[in-house]
Amino acid sequence: MPIVQFAPLSSLVQPALWHKLSDLKIDVLKLSDAAVPIHGSYTAGRSVKDRESGQEISLPCNLTVGADSFEDNYTPTHGSVSAVGTLKNFNTIEEFKAADKTALFNHEAQTVWDDIIKTRSTAQLNRFLLITFADLKKYKYYYWFAFPAFVSKPAWDIEDKGWQHATEEFDSEKLSAIHAQLRGQSPPLPHFLIREGASGNVEIAPVEQYDTFYASSPPDKQTIAFLDPSADPSNPGWPLRNLLAYLRALYPETTSKLRVLRWRDTEVPASPNIPWKSQIGTLTVGASTVDPASARPSAVGWEKNPQGKLGPRVADLAPMMDPTRLAAQAV
Amino acid sequence: MQAIQSQLIAVREYLSPVLKESKFKEHGRITPEEFVAAGDFLVYKFPVWTWEKGDATKTRDFLPVDKQYLVTRGVPCLRRATSLAYTDADEDAERLLSFADSGTSGADGDEWVETHAGRAASSKFGGADGGEIAEIPDIDGPGDDEDVGVRGMRAGVGALGLGAGKEPEIIDLDDIPDMEEDDLEDGEDEATAAPKAKSTPPAASKLVSPAAASSPEPAKGNLLQVRTYDVMITYDKYYQTPRVWLIGYDENGTPLTPTQIFQDISADHAHKTVTIEPFIHSASLQAASVHPCKHASVMKKVIERMNNSVVAEQLARKSPPGGASSSAAKDTKEKEKKKWPFSRKASGSGKEAVAAAASAGGEDEDVEGMRVDFYLVVFLKFIASIVPTIEVDSTTSF
Repeated sequence: MPIVQFAPLSSLVQPALWHKLSDLKIDVLKLSDAAVPIHGSYTAGRSVKDRESGQEISLPCNLTVGADSFEDNYTPTHGSVSAVGTLKNFNTIEEFKAADKTALFNHEAQTVWDDIIKTRSTAQLNRFLLITFADLKKYKYYYWFAFPAFVSKPAWDIEDKGWQHATEEFDSEKLSAIHAQLRGQSPPLPHFLIREGASGNVEIAPVEQYDTFYASSPPDKQTIAFLDPSADPSNPGWPLRNLLAYLRALYPETTSKLRVLRWRDTEVPASPNIPWKSQIGTLTVGASTVDPASARPSAVGWEKNPQGKLGPRVADLAPMMDPTRLAAQAV
Repeated sequence: MQAIQSQLIAVREYLSPVLKESKFKEHGRITPEEFVAAGDFLVYKFPVWTWEKGDATKTRDFLPVDKQYLVTRGVPCLRRATSLAYTDADEDAERLLSFADSGTSGADGDEWVETHAGRAASSKFGGADGGEIAEIPDIDGPGDDEDVGVRGMRAGVGALGLGAGKEPEIIDLDDIPDMEEDDLEDGEDEATAAPKAKSTPPAASKLVSPAAASSPEPAKGNLLQVRTYDVMITYDKYYQTPRVWLIGYDENGTPLTPTQIFQDISADHAHKTVTIEPFIHSASLQAASVHPCKHASVMKKVIERMNNSVVAEQLARKSPPGGASSSAAKDTKEKEKKKWPFSRKASGSGKEAVAAAASAGGEDEDVEGMRVDFYLVVFLKFIASIVPTIEVDSTTSF
């Protein structure tokens, strides 16, 4: 059976965030390089049909941070879910380069893991780390995202038939019911449990209620679902990794085989001709070599730069921020 | 210079009164209340659009605090508008479009010319045809002293998404701190999906120009460079119309420079009606904006046509589901041209939007004509003609 490969998140930083960071740096942080809480959001993976070739092109699975990311009462826009993170801004490029990134990363991964084990909460599963250096005079921002995800040993396998359309297992009525129930949730759920009742009805619940919600439900009526930022038909999105790690750590007896729904239908299809986009697949994992509840599994997740290397990215906003450049543009 | 101009505009806007009575059918202008109503309709119908508060210090008091402007994020843009550059060879593809229904066709000589009808991706790149592209000023590049042909070619290459055209525009590679840290993660993680080389779209093979052939990374040239845009619609108090703002990102999530944004705007409008200006709801953000001075007259024309031609509306309601391939699109276009002048984009998404819009507003059509709720839906069709490759109009295709 093929190994499940997860599509990594890629960062999308709205220029407004850099403006906010500049203000924050000058007015609040000054020379402090303490960690600052930050929020991001991601939405269901989207694809677009190329009008000229007729191909379906998946858009990148983005985690977006923007102008309101530093606000305490951050609310993600319609159809997206929020992720919490840490921003660490360094004062000089040398400090940025010399920072102990392994330690920073491990700290974040440990936070996620502790939260799983101690509080059984899913709130930290999508945690991310952002380290930055803002060259305010040149309007250049160096940054590097990390999206810690726990590595499953052995890896998850998917049944040979792979990811199928969700309509293979759920008819449109059930999918509509799921959609309607999701809509009623506030804040929106990044992942949830689905239970099919005897009369064919479907119910959803937060992942925290795993043991009670599934207490009297046969395994073939259980489905784990998550909002999938990946539109790639064969690779589920990154957030599934930590969700699986969470379930394995807390419920090792019942989670070696899971039916997983990749939820991508933030909107009910406008007409019957338009298919549902969600996909479903059955994942299995072998017995773990270590006790999953005790030791923290290793984690991966530094974002690669556009050259495909592990390295920071740079946003050069001089063309959009530098007054002299703008003046030249305006002539 | 630009600062003074912005100040002047701010004063002018401050002095101009808020439009009170409904004028949208007479002038194509709308009141703030109508903007909110049309915005509510757009948000309700197409939830990819949301209302935003904007910067608290920039709140406009004639709009509700939580409904200052509309925004949709991550609008895909598959190709550069420069790839739609129009040349003599395309003349065969022209087609006259009439707003009027068949009964009064052409009575007032008000046809529109539709170009590129049913045509596949362009192959017109490179030095010879680069004239249009070369007009884009190369503000920062070392290319200022190069001759026009070479620059045009470079811009063309850049538009094709080849590595070679990129360096002067995006980043100085020397500036990236030299810190590849491959040792951060122990070896390759087998469960991480490798970035896939996307399969070559059939059109791309035609795109290979001499410049592309000599590129150091020919394989990369086949990648479709999917840019995404954040599109904002604000209310312009002086012109009493909505106004569109664009912030773009390349496929890596890096913000686009003004020069790159202009590649996505049809050549007739880049640098003339589209400029980079301070975004009015933010203290510091700059965005590309379509200047609204002609919006009212164009909107008036479109609204008049929509309003009067009930026949056309009915035809639009019966609009068949879109064909995917370009040949199918050509067929449907024949049937469609009388109904919806902007739907040359529509191989699927656009038409559904029209159909959805038509069915939504349909019942009231006979009684009171087009309702103002509809204004922004129509407005987006119009904007789509200025930014032909940005799918602002594909609100239902996700």
